[in-house]
Amino acid sequence: MEWQRLIVSYIVGFVLLNVLLGLMAYMTWFERRVLARMQHRVGPNRTGPFGLLQPIADGIKLLAKEDIVPANADRLVFLVAPLLSFALAPLGAAVIPFGDTLHLFGIDIPLLVADINVAVLYVLALGSVGVYGIILGGYASGNRYSLLGALRSTAQVISYELVLGLSLVGVLILSGSLSLQDILREQQRSLVLGPLTLPNWYILSQPLAFALFLIAAVAETNRAPFDLPEAETELVAGYFTEYSGFRFSFYFLAEYINMIVVSLLAATLFLGGIDGPIADGVWWLAIKALFFLFFYVWLRATLPRFRYDQLMGLAWKVLLPLALLNIALTGLVRLWGIGAL
Amino acid sequence: MTELSATHFLLLSAALFIIGMVGVLTRRNVLVIFMCIELMLNAVNVSLIGFAWELHQLTGQIFALFVIAVAAAEAVVGLGIVMALTRRTDTVDIDELRQLRE
Amino acid sequence: MTVQVLVFWLLALVAILGALGVVAARNPIHSAIGLVLSFLNVAAIYLIARAEFLAVVQVIVYAGAVIVLVVFVTMLVHPDDLPEFHGRRPLRIATGLVLGLALLAEVSAAILAHGLRGTPGPWTDDTIAAVGGNTRALGQVLYSDFMLAIQLTALLLLAATIGAIALARPEAVSERLAAARRVMTISLAHPRGLDQPALPAALPEPQNGRVKEAGGGRPIVLARTADEFTEQPAWGEWRAR
Repeated sequence: MEWQRLIVSYIVGFVLLNVLLGLMAYMTWFERRVLARMQHRVGPNRTGPFGLLQPIADGIKLLAKEDIVPANADRLVFLVAPLLSFALAPLGAAVIPFGDTLHLFGIDIPLLVADINVAVLYVLALGSVGVYGIILGGYASGNRYSLLGALRSTAQVISYELVLGLSLVGVLILSGSLSLQDILREQQRSLVLGPLTLPNWYILSQPLAFALFLIAAVAETNRAPFDLPEAETELVAGYFTEYSGFRFSFYFLAEYINMIVVSLLAATLFLGGIDGPIADGVWWLAIKALFFLFFYVWLRATLPRFRYDQLMGLAWKVLLPLALLNIALTGLVRLWGIGAL
Repeated sequence: MTELSATHFLLLSAALFIIGMVGVLTRRNVLVIFMCIELMLNAVNVSLIGFAWELHQLTGQIFALFVIAVAAAEAVVGLGIVMALTRRTDTVDIDELRQLRE
Repeated sequence: MTVQVLVFWLLALVAILGALGVVAARNPIHSAIGLVLSFLNVAAIYLIARAEFLAVVQVIVYAGAVIVLVVFVTMLVHPDDLPEFHGRRPLRIATGLVLGLALLAEVSAAILAHGLRGTPGPWTDDTIAAVGGNTRALGQVLYSDFMLAIQLTALLLLAATIGAIALARPEAVSERLAAARRVMTISLAHPRGLDQPALPAALPEPQNGRVKEAGGGRPIVLARTADEFTEQPAWGEWRAR
């Protein structure tokens, strides 16, 4: 039965990957429409009803463009770096549970690709390897602006990854497991506070960790207001200045896939994932993730970009101490048994 | 040799360690020498984990964990030294960095 | 040969190729890529040995932090200054290779000649599963039998952090300005320089086009036009002497 489970895993993974790629395409449409509304514009509305065919048109355009390799470039690294970014982006979704086991044709189909016992660390590890797409792309372009963009971006991603990891420690202390399935199970219990009965979602017991996670996640995905690597007024387009055609689109799409994966992760870790008031299921996860995606666009429309020293100062002098404080508090609460809610 | 055993891990570990050693002996760039040292530390981890797996012990894994922690600390200080060196002498050539000897 | 052995050697092969790339590549960035490749494959081998936690830690710490830092520093160093761009030492490479191959043969012979000796411990797959997975078992052993060691590791990391900050601390702005002021004087096309091929008696013989006064004052650079003196001194160069 080993091989059967393996094949089921592969099929679930394949379906998930395709759904993710489709969502990613429509995320660009969603962002442009919402952003346009916020800026009193209409947004793309010519290609198909409500501009719904716009992502497809964009995709065709990008694929048809010339693939330019600068003369100064480190050729092989230049060609591989965007693929690395793009290939690593959707892997995080493999550990996110999308629902309970499905019974179909007499086979148990678990609605997640892999329930590994180090799931949270796995996602963090993917993030830390994902840095290579940025740093190698910037280096290989043979261009000062790209190099500077890559250096900035790497420093940013490393710093905020630390905050991201430490903000999750509180959740891990409460749940006592690194498996997302277990974390989800913990959150499905209910929390009784006097007359109130609330779901045991970790946003309620770990509000500080949630805020830190959200900030770090925005920085980790290089989105506004932390989109310094592509600060066009100073660095042209940062590490992907020299990229064109579909290699550029790989970077671009990796960013959107990262956004979706991080949103799914935030919904699973802090908002109870598939848990809802009525009829638990993947739709609740979708609604929560959509909220986070909207939040991303909302931030971009609202906040100006940080200056570089402000960005690093925020991570090291504000967020990191807060994350450590949160760990200490959670540990104390857990130790004295108040956390046995 | 038909079943996976600690011998396989040890062979891999030896190969990685010696490649790293040759790198330390032959290269001139401080940064590459540094990477080769990391390679050697990592090779030690492979053998530790191989032993832990074969003997059903966790001590090997815990040792590997400590090796990783020490390697990280070493990386931070080592790279700090390289940065300070390049700022002062503008070279990463190990053959030219001989102020302490002279 | 079982599938497990096959997978092991496939991963090991890529790990070894990556390691060879580290040693052979001229460009340090390519070395770093080889190293990451090697580390990732070793992490996969840890998975075969049921050390999931170690595998992930390997990826996060080695591939994600240490090598990123190395690449970072490599980019800050000017690529033309890298020694292997100027020439290698063939004798040293030959010696290294011979020594390495001899050692490899010896160690392999020793490994193959002797089996593994030791008392098996209690942590079989079943006992680990009973505790609740590799991470939990590791945590229990780590925070009971190795309490002192982990505290010392924490201390080591703290010391390393402080050391790195002390090493990488930039100089104060005032120091830097002072250094800039005392770096050097350039005398451009001075009539005396053009007319008189010989130096004034008070100055010693120039070395590399630079004359240092006996009193230890500012060094004087002899140049007739601005184009003759295009080499700018690096920040540390004069301070280091």
